[in-house]
Amino acid sequence: MVKMSLDPVQVMSGQVKELKVATSSNGDSRGSWDEKEEFDQDHLGLTTKPKPALETVNARLRELYPQSEELFDIVLVTYNHAHVGIRLINTINHHNLFIERFCMTGGSSPIGYLKAWHTNLYLSADSEKVREALAEGIAAATMFMPEKLTEVSESQLRVAFDGDAVLFSDESERIFKAHGLDKFFEHEKDNEDTLLDHGPLKGFLEALGKLQKKFYAKGQRLDCPIRTYLVTARSAASSGIRALKTLRAWGLEIDEALFLAGARKGPMLEKIRPHIYFDDQMFHVEGAAEMGTIAAHVPYGIAQKHNPKQKSSVAK
Amino acid sequence: LQALQKVNERLLEENPAESLLFDVILITTDSQQQQQSSRVISSTRHYGLEVSRFCFSSEEDFIESLQKNNVKLFLTTDTNEVTQASQTGVVSVLLDQQTAVCSSEQLRVMFCGDAVIRPDTGPMPLTRQAAQSFSTQLGEMRQKFGMFDSPLSFILVTSHGGRESCRGALQMLRSRGVSVDEAYCLAGAPRGPMLSLLQPHFLLRDGYSGLEE
Repeated sequence: MVKMSLDPVQVMSGQVKELKVATSSNGDSRGSWDEKEEFDQDHLGLTTKPKPALETVNARLRELYPQSEELFDIVLVTYNHAHVGIRLINTINHHNLFIERFCMTGGSSPIGYLKAWHTNLYLSADSEKVREALAEGIAAATMFMPEKLTEVSESQLRVAFDGDAVLFSDESERIFKAHGLDKFFEHEKDNEDTLLDHGPLKGFLEALGKLQKKFYAKGQRLDCPIRTYLVTARSAASSGIRALKTLRAWGLEIDEALFLAGARKGPMLEKIRPHIYFDDQMFHVEGAAEMGTIAAHVPYGIAQKHNPKQKSSVAK
Repeated sequence: LQALQKVNERLLEENPAESLLFDVILITTDSQQQQQSSRVISSTRHYGLEVSRFCFSSEEDFIESLQKNNVKLFLTTDTNEVTQASQTGVVSVLLDQQTAVCSSEQLRVMFCGDAVIRPDTGPMPLTRQAAQSFSTQLGEMRQKFGMFDSPLSFILVTSHGGRESCRGALQMLRSRGVSVDEAYCLAGAPRGPMLSLLQPHFLLRDGYSGLEE
């Protein structure tokens, strides 16, 4: 089950609020319940664009597994006081957002509720809350909405991830920042067979993978409505190998691995057209948003301590 | 009890002449306790619990005692007592281990919004009437405090149904003068984890005797 929690505060007050994409982790023996993915955001586009794709995924899952409740689930979480509850529901109706579950905490931090909802991914426009969630071990990212959204598929949900400090830990980035590119290459070569440590979004990729496997099990691998992408500055010939080996060892499949060897990510994202792209570096997040991709910043790792706006990517 | 007292304290702070306060009665049918009535009384004093009346009655009479004292809410750890009291129209609540970990600073009342009373369903059972009028009184109390930092907080949880059923519950409560602070629309999600997180002191099931689920 993939549960996403969203913070609709933005919708109500025009301020940017958190989007919590809470996905429930699988294995809830108490009776799994439907997980639907819903996006609530101050900017309509965020909700509108992925919605058809999410609905497609859920519809096809229901077709194949009518008894199962393992679906995408989106939960809206807000620290709004419930006295705007009716207004909130009216707004959800008005914008035709597909949200059936929500929490209005009346002021207390929604973080505790993320765990209660078995959140797989928390999206918010508030980076503080995102950091809090990350600190609690919940996959989280800060949303950035593009001014203009590029068209995305309605029949296939595409999720793209950066590698280091998103799926993987930031260990390699630390080496690179502390000792430079050569040292980085050396370190990666020496440690090619050592797994990278996991990053904050590994669990979310895992949850997506579980849903994908449900399609594969019914012979729908080629036509799977969920597709995942790795978009990394690592290069295929060298440092990328370790990334692939790690994913394989984790039992995680990624549909397409794009090794940019330092090239800009924007054009690649433009080709892929993901519904959402996760990166730990603001430079890339902003670049993605400029190209019309919904981008989410993962405030994790060494990149946060340095100037987030690097002017150039370096081949890794 | 401490949370109830907190509410009273704050009510009196707002208005020293306030008459809508919580009045706590301790009732026991345990003969052993009755023999040691002075111990019971001094114990409550010792723990700083403000009990205005002590009622020692027999098991047969305790319902009568509830009615004589015009009790609006009966709290007990005994399921039989809850059933008996509910049947005579007294809003009754079963206390359990969960209650022990609840806040002593804020009284948190949870409304289960799944049973929405339809106005056209004939004469209302006693419990429903009692629950409704009690909620209205609580609602009145709540109004004496601001939106935030209130010693009394209302939580709405709708377990089944989607946002429409939550909206219906919000509207219904509002029409009774109950303005909810927190709202959770579970739409089928398990209640357990949410309840542990929310830690209400007690649940009011609108229209049911309190023994559903």
